[in-house]
Amino acid sequence: MIIPINLHPERSSSTSSTCTFPPALAQFGSDELILVELQGSLEVEGDNIGATVGKLSVDPSTKKPTLLIGHHLLEGKLVNLPKPLAVLHNSPLQNTANDESNSMSVDGESKGSSKSWDVVAVVKKKMVFAKRPIPIMLGKNSGMTSLGVEKKTT
Amino acid sequence: MNECNLRFSSSPAQDTGSYRLLELPPELAKVLESSGDEATQSWSIKGESIEDAVLCTADKTYTVRSVVLSNAVLVVTPLQSGDAAPDAVIRDQLHEIYELIPSVPRLQKLGSLLKGNEYNEGQEDEDVDMSDNDRPTKRQRLTYHDAREVLQASDAELLQGLRTRRVLIIKDELRPIAPAYLTQILELLLTYLVSLSLSHQAAPVQTLTSSLEEEHEIKREVCMQVMEWFGQIEDEVWRLDELAAVKEVGLGVLRAYKDDTITEGEFLKKWESAVGDTFESSVSLDLLSGNYLTTQNLLTDPPTIELNYFPSSALPTDPAARFGDLFLTRQRWKAEEIAPFLQDIVVNNKERDKLLLKYARTVTNKDGIWYTARAMYNG
Repeated sequence: MIIPINLHPERSSSTSSTCTFPPALAQFGSDELILVELQGSLEVEGDNIGATVGKLSVDPSTKKPTLLIGHHLLEGKLVNLPKPLAVLHNSPLQNTANDESNSMSVDGESKGSSKSWDVVAVVKKKMVFAKRPIPIMLGKNSGMTSLGVEKKTT
Repeated sequence: MNECNLRFSSSPAQDTGSYRLLELPPELAKVLESSGDEATQSWSIKGESIEDAVLCTADKTYTVRSVVLSNAVLVVTPLQSGDAAPDAVIRDQLHEIYELIPSVPRLQKLGSLLKGNEYNEGQEDEDVDMSDNDRPTKRQRLTYHDAREVLQASDAELLQGLRTRRVLIIKDELRPIAPAYLTQILELLLTYLVSLSLSHQAAPVQTLTSSLEEEHEIKREVCMQVMEWFGQIEDEVWRLDELAAVKEVGLGVLRAYKDDTITEGEFLKKWESAVGDTFESSVSLDLLSGNYLTTQNLLTDPPTIELNYFPSSALPTDPAARFGDLFLTRQRWKAEEIAPFLQDIVVNNKERDKLLLKYARTVTNKDGIWYTARAMYNG
């Protein structure tokens, strides 16, 4: 079985092609994609479709990113990756035409009905939030209070 | 304004699980960044569901290994929301990245896939039959296209593998050539080079192929592929790789002596006559190292050296199994005797000596150093 990887996919007319990050954020990855690493993971109760997680801001002078989730403030930093990462994306919608002729089961490498992968970005940096969140007092909620960053013991 | 809202995707069903991170070795990162010829390359993931996946570029194979992360990596993309700064949307949360490790092409399956597909003399007619009527053939032969699909190797490595295994591509089907037939074609080619007084460095392809086709019914496409294995074809001109051709003819002669033995002198005489006067000077036993065993026959007077066919290509590729086989064949080996049979599983002499240290024991006596098996459980 062969699963093709498109190195230079045609820019589709999706939203990402016209929209880019402001330079302050783009410096943590690329114009169209950044990787944010959290120690732990985002856990949500209930429906999270389109929900706001919090505010991501970058201090213009120190270039430090901060992430405000509810009453918790996370301080992050810029980390250069030892080896560049290719971000692969499969969009099953584009490949519906081939689906029937090619409907063999796909191994664990790529679950689901994926037929090809696009290299959507090559990133050399990531934004890492590795510290414990700092509790802060706010006049009003700037995010969903029901959200929190769960700490994992590592 | 260096602030934006971080949001979950509004289409999670479509986004979740649709991203993967692939760690790029430097040489691959370069390919991705270049915009020149290399940029037109395509990569692919290959493998059956029971195999470990590999990533193949145009000429290299990499093993894909999943590395689990304790942290979560969010894939975040921008999304325009009104006139304000774009929102940052979390498309996917990932907990693993894929690492790529350079690997040798996995062509071991080729042998069993091609079993029974051998192309031999007199099979030209059978092919005509098949194309005449469209009845389904008894057994589907492996095509080049199939091989690309099932073998975990890049295109360049696959072609190279087919070449070294002497596999013909006829009407897109893969047909390993029968060794005896290959020897026959080569001998004919060498003979015609001489009899038509063509230059070995630049022989017109057309002349040779039509001679072989008309007088010996050897198909042009078969002939062409054989010529490419033993030389180079450029602008309809063939440049013979003399040593490779002479070696193959030698192997053809030697192959008959798998169970019997032949004396060295007799073998060389046969080999020389097979290649003809012009190429006689290239004949040398060294060419065949790793394909024969020698024994001294003390019963004759004077004692003669006898050879028999023992190809290292038929031995297992796993070092432990190979040493096992070698020591079953012979209890003890001289260093220079055993070396040719290890050549194809090591990258250099240093690695060979390491294997010898690991799998063999040295015994020194008046004849010099011998290698024997490490454990001799059965006596």
